Amino acid sequence: MSFEELEHTADVLMRVRGATLNELFAEAGRAMFSVMYGPCEDRDVERRIEIEAENLESLLIDYLSELLFVTEVENTVFCTFDVELLGTRLSAVIRGELFDPARHSAGTLVKGISYFGLEIVKEEEGYVVEIIFDI
Amino acid sequence: MLAGINKIGDLEWEVPIGYVPDMRVPGRFFLSRTLAETLEEGAVRQLANVATLPGIVKHSLAMPDIHWGYGFPIGGVAAFEMTEGVISPGGVGFDINCGVRLITTPLTEADLARRKRELIERLFAAVPTGVGAKSTMRVSNKDLSAVMVDGARWAVERGLGTEADLVRCEGEGAMTGADPEAVSAKARQRGVPQLGTLGAGNHFLEVQVAKEIVDPEAAKAFGITEGQVCFMVHCGSRGLGHQVATDHLRTLEAALAKYGIRLPDRQLACAPIDSPEGRAYYGGMVSAANYAWANRQVIMHESRKVFADLFGIDYDEMRLVYDVAHNVAKFERHDVDGVSTEVCVHRKGATRAFGPGAEGVPREYAGIGQPVIIPGSMGTSSYLLHGTTAAMEKTWGSTCHGAGRVLSRSKAKKEVRGKELRERLAGEGILVRAHSDAALAEEAPGVYKPSREVVRVVHEAGLSDIVARLEPLGVIKG
Repeated sequence: MSFEELEHTADVLMRVRGATLNELFAEAGRAMFSVMYGPCEDRDVERRIEIEAENLESLLIDYLSELLFVTEVENTVFCTFDVELLGTRLSAVIRGELFDPARHSAGTLVKGISYFGLEIVKEEEGYVVEIIFDI
Repeated sequence: MLAGINKIGDLEWEVPIGYVPDMRVPGRFFLSRTLAETLEEGAVRQLANVATLPGIVKHSLAMPDIHWGYGFPIGGVAAFEMTEGVISPGGVGFDINCGVRLITTPLTEADLARRKRELIERLFAAVPTGVGAKSTMRVSNKDLSAVMVDGARWAVERGLGTEADLVRCEGEGAMTGADPEAVSAKARQRGVPQLGTLGAGNHFLEVQVAKEIVDPEAAKAFGITEGQVCFMVHCGSRGLGHQVATDHLRTLEAALAKYGIRLPDRQLACAPIDSPEGRAYYGGMVSAANYAWANRQVIMHESRKVFADLFGIDYDEMRLVYDVAHNVAKFERHDVDGVSTEVCVHRKGATRAFGPGAEGVPREYAGIGQPVIIPGSMGTSSYLLHGTTAAMEKTWGSTCHGAGRVLSRSKAKKEVRGKELRERLAGEGILVRAHSDAALAEEAPGVYKPSREVVRVVHEAGLSDIVARLEPLGVIKG
């Protein structure tokens, strides 16, 4: 499982891979937080998220949008994502630390997750998705 | 130029119906040969995709800062019929009413000389910036509802500005039709602690000097003189606006089947203007837009206090020239085939540029046209222009909004080191203050198209006329 930033002039385009859908969603979370804050450590902040949607792509957008909401209103930065999908229902336990301007100011604010070109594709070795983060 | 696009004027290009399936009208954009070298095929496809939306009138348009975004291209403008047409968050963007305001001061560059660093530090301390920035204001949920209805007026009524400021904002600093009920609890939660904060990314508070007056008559009307120190605020509706866009995009996307709308890109999710979903988005978007006007008003107030305190000048000597929105959808009256018709104009990364005599231009500027403010990127010039009659005829009274990126964030990080950039700019007399050097690299001047070329194109295409050029002296980066 991994994520990599691809060329995109206006926004941030990430290609995310996971051996399973659970891993894909976990990596997507990691990718987004790396854009926003740079490195982060697991320091006893834990949060649980439950989301349901009508399809996997909408679920991914709702999940990432929920993470954006949580990080902003709770002043937390997350780095570990344990995601479990049951069909199009997601439950996740996310862990990280409190936002510290001295250590978490290397990134940029993500304003939203775009539907443009968002498609979860099954490949031989797992799943891949390309996500545009509006910055 | 890319294949399949027709040249129809010196700086004007047409994307014919058929460029992508189901286009209802042609696309049109404005570009010089130099700028055409960096035109992305994806941006043209997005321009063509907009032309497939129900009720689009005349053309799907793009300004010379066109580039590849999501939904509409950045720099995209389109008008929709009020009955058959749609409204789409993809034509506004996540940062609802991202915009710019320009303020003049009675100071000259010489007045600043020894105290420039102190000024920049004081402004940096006074205006919360960057990821995680929180306001020092105490805003209740009830206050927030009032902000979303009254916009900049909310701040002025609390002593954070003057009545004269309101007259010099697009729409007097608020749109009518706000519906705070269409703003979710989540959006409110994000909005309460952020009023008066700059945000991050390409947002900034910049101290500038009016270096060149191009149109003396218009400059006089706008109250700007050569050598004058000014400041510029570039920001939007913060987390509240982002959440409103996210929430309604989701609702509209789910309602597409209900209205039988087929789209080439789900980010163009939309609903008829006069449908429950369309009305709800409009009411939420207006609420967020008004929040953004209040936000820029508060930031201007805090900045004025710093200038007044440091240089012993009067608050009222710092005159707001104008405040423009560059991410918004509005109901406006325009000439459609000789008939004055109400349409819903979407501007995504485009600025309203109403010409002389147009309704909505402040009375004191009526003979000149609306001021248009085009921010540069860090280290490059910003421009003050005015709207034109040609813009009213060709682009629903719209022009460009900025420089437009040419280098991705990842490439910028590889090619530019934040610390070196900060030092180089300091060598040129431009002081930059940000929370981190890494964030600076992403917004380095070289990652944008030269603002002068974009502005030259809108000037020569007649979409707006240059009044003055401003150079940066110091920048607070979001």
